Amino acid sequence: MTALDTFLFVAFPYVAVITFVVGVIYRWKWKGFTVTSLSSQFLEGKMLFWGTIPFHIGILVVFLGHLVAFMLPQATLAWNSQPLRLIILEGTAFVFGLTVLIGLAALMYRRFTNARIRAVTTPMDIGIEMLLLAQVILGCWIALGYRWGSSWFAADLSPYLWSLVKFSPEAGAVFALPWVIKLHIVGAFALVFMVPFTRLAHVIVAPFNYLVRPYQQVIWNWDRKAIRDPSTAWSAARPKAN
Amino acid sequence: MGRPRAPKPSSLGRPFALAVLLASIPSQAQAQSAGEDVFRTTCAACHTTGADRLVGPGLEGINDRRDREWLIAFITTPDQVIAGGDSIATRLLAEYIVPMPNLGTTRAQAEAVLDYIRGAASDAPSPAQEEAPPATEEQILLGQALFQGHTRLTNGGPTCNSCHDVINDAVIGGGILATELTTVFTRLGGAGVRAIIGSPPFPVMQKAYEDRPLTEDEVAGLVAFLERADAEHALHQPRDYGIKLFGFGVVGAALLLGLYSLAWSGRKRGSVNQEIFDRQIRST
Repeated sequence: MTALDTFLFVAFPYVAVITFVVGVIYRWKWKGFTVTSLSSQFLEGKMLFWGTIPFHIGILVVFLGHLVAFMLPQATLAWNSQPLRLIILEGTAFVFGLTVLIGLAALMYRRFTNARIRAVTTPMDIGIEMLLLAQVILGCWIALGYRWGSSWFAADLSPYLWSLVKFSPEAGAVFALPWVIKLHIVGAFALVFMVPFTRLAHVIVAPFNYLVRPYQQVIWNWDRKAIRDPSTAWSAARPKAN
Repeated sequence: MGRPRAPKPSSLGRPFALAVLLASIPSQAQAQSAGEDVFRTTCAACHTTGADRLVGPGLEGINDRRDREWLIAFITTPDQVIAGGDSIATRLLAEYIVPMPNLGTTRAQAEAVLDYIRGAASDAPSPAQEEAPPATEEQILLGQALFQGHTRLTNGGPTCNSCHDVINDAVIGGGILATELTTVFTRLGGAGVRAIIGSPPFPVMQKAYEDRPLTEDEVAGLVAFLERADAEHALHQPRDYGIKLFGFGVVGAALLLGLYSLAWSGRKRGSVNQEIFDRQIRST
């Protein structure tokens, strides 16, 4: 058990991060045009909205929340020292976590039921969505079943992650945590590990302006009215129906 | 040519033996001090080296009472020994109620701590054994404020309710990562509670307060609050945040989805061909 713990919480994080860095550089340099999530908005747009918007906004908020607790543990603990602020923080985080789950469920439903989306689905897409689903379910479970996570994350997991960053891993406290939380930690590193091999590679698309750029809409790149107008020069397949 | 003389007890021999002896003294002392360190950081919260019990039994004469290998197995993997149905472990659990946690102690540490206990002054009272004066109202209020964070711990440690819950109307529902503490005073007694707060033996709690120990006053306040909470718990209502948090999440998520729909009200709802299909229908 200890050997497995040591592998999962000491060795695997380094394996995941090294794989992420090397894999991403390789994919960027030699397979540049694949660094994308390959939008399917032009195949189906209605259901996509109810999946992608709640999912992406939710995951950004939740990810940034984890990042703040990791980077600024003392500030997080200070914020949580007022019970009302603690409840507001935890409640808000859970709301966004739940929208991630709803959005991901909608996206997976769309992927499995829409023939057009099925046609462009790879086995890796299904694999990474399953991993994400497990991770999100575990996260919501932890928020409800092991509250108040923002405080104990700052007190115990932030020092653990910093010990990894400083190359002097101290994972004793993590070994003693309940298995649900341990699975969530392993799942997080597994997601980092999988980035170069999946559509998740789109998180590193330069110039990193996904957060601030206007949203884009993917449509056919020709003027539908013009090509259906018999008076235009377009004549490769003159429309006959109208 | 004379008879070869038997080598004189080497001129180097005596100083060398002395050097070995001298060298061994610090190493024994180091072992003793290593054992003391382990005892202080992992055992002292629940055990004394004397005969007095805290959370667990006093360890005076433990080396004579139990088999060495059994002791090492129990110190390094108490969870497995208890789970294996060992008769001594089962009897101890029945008597002391709180199972000894697996603290990740190594065999070398276990041996060092057993050697330390053998040599420790058995009559030295541990600080936790000293009789504490009755708690004052100020201490109870301080403990209450510290427990849920209204007053922050001096060294910046996380508030107790990050991980622990206690049924008391004066505080909000606490965390449920760790043990529920409403009746901890009955379970462990004042000395045990004080010892665990002052020097946590559990890895998660140990890490949380590693560089941010509680002060004497804070420990006394928290012990006083927990004693009061235990004594009065029948008069207080438990607070279950699980269902409320879930309900809040569902309502909040529904509101957010509505907000997104509003914010993206100009989104294309149908296929890009929809307008053309509609125009065809209108023109026929």
